[in-house]
Amino acid sequence: MDGFLAALKAVVDSLGATIALPIIIFIIAMVLGAKPGKAFRAGVYVGIAFIGINLVIGLMWGALSAVGQALVTNLGITRDVMDVGWPSAAAIAFGSNVGLWVIPIAILVNIVFLSLRLTKTLNVDVWNFWHFAFIGSMVAAASDNLTYGLIATAIAAALALFLADWTAKAVQSFYELPGISIPHLTTAPSVPFAMLTNWIVDRIPGLNKVNADPESIRKRFGIWGEPVILGFVIGLVLGILGFYNAGDFNTVLVKVLGLAMNLAAVMLILPRMVSILMEGLMPVSEAAREFMQKRAGSREIYIGLDSAILIGHPATISASLVLVPIAILLSLILPGNRVILFADLAIIPFVVAMFAPLMRGNIVRMIIAGTLELLVGFYLATWMAPLFTSSAVASGFAMPENAILITSIGDGFLWPPALFAQLVQYAGAFGLVILAAMLGVAMFFYLKNSKAWEVAAGAPEE
Amino acid sequence: MSIRKTILVACGTAIATSTVVAKTLEEVLRERGIDVVTRQCKATEVGSMTSGVDLIVTTTPLQGEFDVPVIKTLAFLTGIGKEAVIEQIIKALKV
Repeated sequence: MDGFLAALKAVVDSLGATIALPIIIFIIAMVLGAKPGKAFRAGVYVGIAFIGINLVIGLMWGALSAVGQALVTNLGITRDVMDVGWPSAAAIAFGSNVGLWVIPIAILVNIVFLSLRLTKTLNVDVWNFWHFAFIGSMVAAASDNLTYGLIATAIAAALALFLADWTAKAVQSFYELPGISIPHLTTAPSVPFAMLTNWIVDRIPGLNKVNADPESIRKRFGIWGEPVILGFVIGLVLGILGFYNAGDFNTVLVKVLGLAMNLAAVMLILPRMVSILMEGLMPVSEAAREFMQKRAGSREIYIGLDSAILIGHPATISASLVLVPIAILLSLILPGNRVILFADLAIIPFVVAMFAPLMRGNIVRMIIAGTLELLVGFYLATWMAPLFTSSAVASGFAMPENAILITSIGDGFLWPPALFAQLVQYAGAFGLVILAAMLGVAMFFYLKNSKAWEVAAGAPEE
Repeated sequence: MSIRKTILVACGTAIATSTVVAKTLEEVLRERGIDVVTRQCKATEVGSMTSGVDLIVTTTPLQGEFDVPVIKTLAFLTGIGKEAVIEQIIKALKV
């Protein structure tokens, strides 16, 4: 098996994601029963997406690394870890050697778990399989072992199913989405932070009664919800801090406004490029959905969907709007932090969406929990940046000269990738055993006492 | 010949679920001879994107009031109840 994988890896390495992934997507789509014409088109689109994403990432990394260096000289703060955003992370994950295998692995794990009745979730959100591949590619980079990466991917897929089941009742009642669960590894891992925050806030007199009105926050901060404006403003701020002494007035003006326009452009174009990738994956995800639904049988199942469907809730939007300036402030003042935020400020709603059921939509609590999760995230991201960066290089993304490090809030700020990669780095294969055992224990207690666990995650007590 | 209709498709990212909805809508409506173009946006951007739009289809709740009809549906993601929603959309487009 290792020999076969090594030979395949050599072929894939020489082809690169732009060529290898389209071929794999074509094969997977055919196996799952898509028509040849659709499958071929899907493969070509995926290749186009990688070419497009690479172009935009080149623009972004160029602009950010220049200002990052200027910040170091001007402010004496080291901010050499650039937030390249989850679209980049998704492209890195799908473009990695692990990414080539993630779709069959996650489908297999789901079908096995369903047939053993270990989960109720049918995860049809094929697009977000990238989170599993992301964890797997971090593990592969940490251990230099593709097989470990693939096993980690399978465990991550199982973790997503467990978190989806555990939070399903809470999501269904709070967001009024019967029959839906959210196996999304940017959103589901936030539940422990919400539990901890609730526990603390309940014990602080005064604060435990405070709430805020989502509508007034949304109106006041409304413009921050538009990523293009956010990119422009951040470009202005970073540009002024980095380039105010770059030369005469004319030079400074050109540099500052140029950076602002470049970053605004990235905010608009990068998602467009990633939506090409999404479009390419669509025939595969449709075929996969039908393939799995046919095999799921007729008993009660939850359909696992993208947390994008939760983001419109007023509490979620408002809490994330307030968290944007908090996140920027944290990135500047936290001692020891090396991350400078940019592209992923728009992903904060995904991080806080799962707070809402536990906190009954209380925005003040959601902001506190979000601050806590981001605070931990800055240190996780600083710590994991070298692995993140080497995963990107291994996936064939063009890094700028005088190599900066990269990260993203989704999922570089989150505990699952850090936990997986660090355990395997220090304990090797035994680390994978520990991970599987921890998940097994959690699932055992959940299945034994589902009701209490679900209430703890925010389900109504009835 | 029908007039070209514009549908704004909203979700949390303007990338993931809205792409699925937009591409499916283009396909099924063109099969029925309805000429549509779709635009995608984030739920928070809908307010500034509605000019020239005939219908908003969203996978996530939208805040605020719009002068365009809004249909919220997960049918294109789950595959359940898809035909009924397509009928509803055609009716809302008044073609």
